[in-house]
Amino acid sequence: MSRWFAALPGPTPVKVLVAVVAAVVAVVVLFFVYDWIGTNLLDSGGTFE
Amino acid sequence: MDESLNPAARRERSRAATGRVTRIVRAVGWISLIAGVLVLGFVFQQLFVTSWLAERNQTALEEDARVYFEDVEVVEIPLSEIEGLSTDEGGDDAAVAPDDMRRLLVEARPDAHQPFAIIRAPGIEALEEGWTVVEGVERADLKNGAGHMPHTPIPGQPGNSVISGHRTTYGAPFGDLDRLEPGDRIEVETALGIHGYEVRETIIVDPFALWVTEPRRGAWLTLTTCHPKFSSRERMVLFAELVDGPNAEVILAS
Repeated sequence: MSRWFAALPGPTPVKVLVAVVAAVVAVVVLFFVYDWIGTNLLDSGGTFE
Repeated sequence: MDESLNPAARRERSRAATGRVTRIVRAVGWISLIAGVLVLGFVFQQLFVTSWLAERNQTALEEDARVYFEDVEVVEIPLSEIEGLSTDEGGDDAAVAPDDMRRLLVEARPDAHQPFAIIRAPGIEALEEGWTVVEGVERADLKNGAGHMPHTPIPGQPGNSVISGHRTTYGAPFGDLDRLEPGDRIEVETALGIHGYEVRETIIVDPFALWVTEPRRGAWLTLTTCHPKFSSRERMVLFAELVDGPNAEVILAS
């Protein structure tokens, strides 16, 4: 993890900003992926196809 | 082991092999850890985040529904003009004669995505306080928990009114639908008032069994949800019949 952080461009404040933005993007993407999996496999809402 | 190597070379080879094993074990450990976090994140998002979102939306939706109850246009229509209840020929299937003067209270159809009804089922935790029903069964509609199939009648009207809802996620309004037994009461509040239904039957069908949404004689409420819990492999379908409410007397007598 620390190696990934060190590989980020710019000085430490920029690295921190990039890391935070990347984490937020990852969480949002994960949310949509989870939502898609959940709706298709776990609970579609009970409608008919 | 190569006996020709001197002790120093043997130690070096052994160290290299140990290093490889360590790297593999470390990689497997990281992959397992990340997979575990992802799976836990999925469970947390599906069971808690979606329910939190749906329940937060419910407060606003119920307020919208209450405003809608005040604003929606309600008219009285002669029973003979209701589609499916009368026949001009007056044959054996005719339920209502063309000159029948009894009148039915009818509310305007809600626009798509409009919260327009509140469903309650005493004894079912999620439905005890009431759950707002929106018009439509698109994904976005059902993310609020329960949606009314647009091509079916509004609850409290003749025919087969169909409402679908989540079983395990998004607040799981129909999570305990299997606990309702024949004779149990379900209430649906609309602009006309409270329509009381009695459970008649619960069945399990495949996800293509569209026949359950077809029109029925009388006034029925059909609730559909996923089955079993944590799977969308099948559908649980509950049929309930109108027994009281603003239109019950007229419909039951027809």
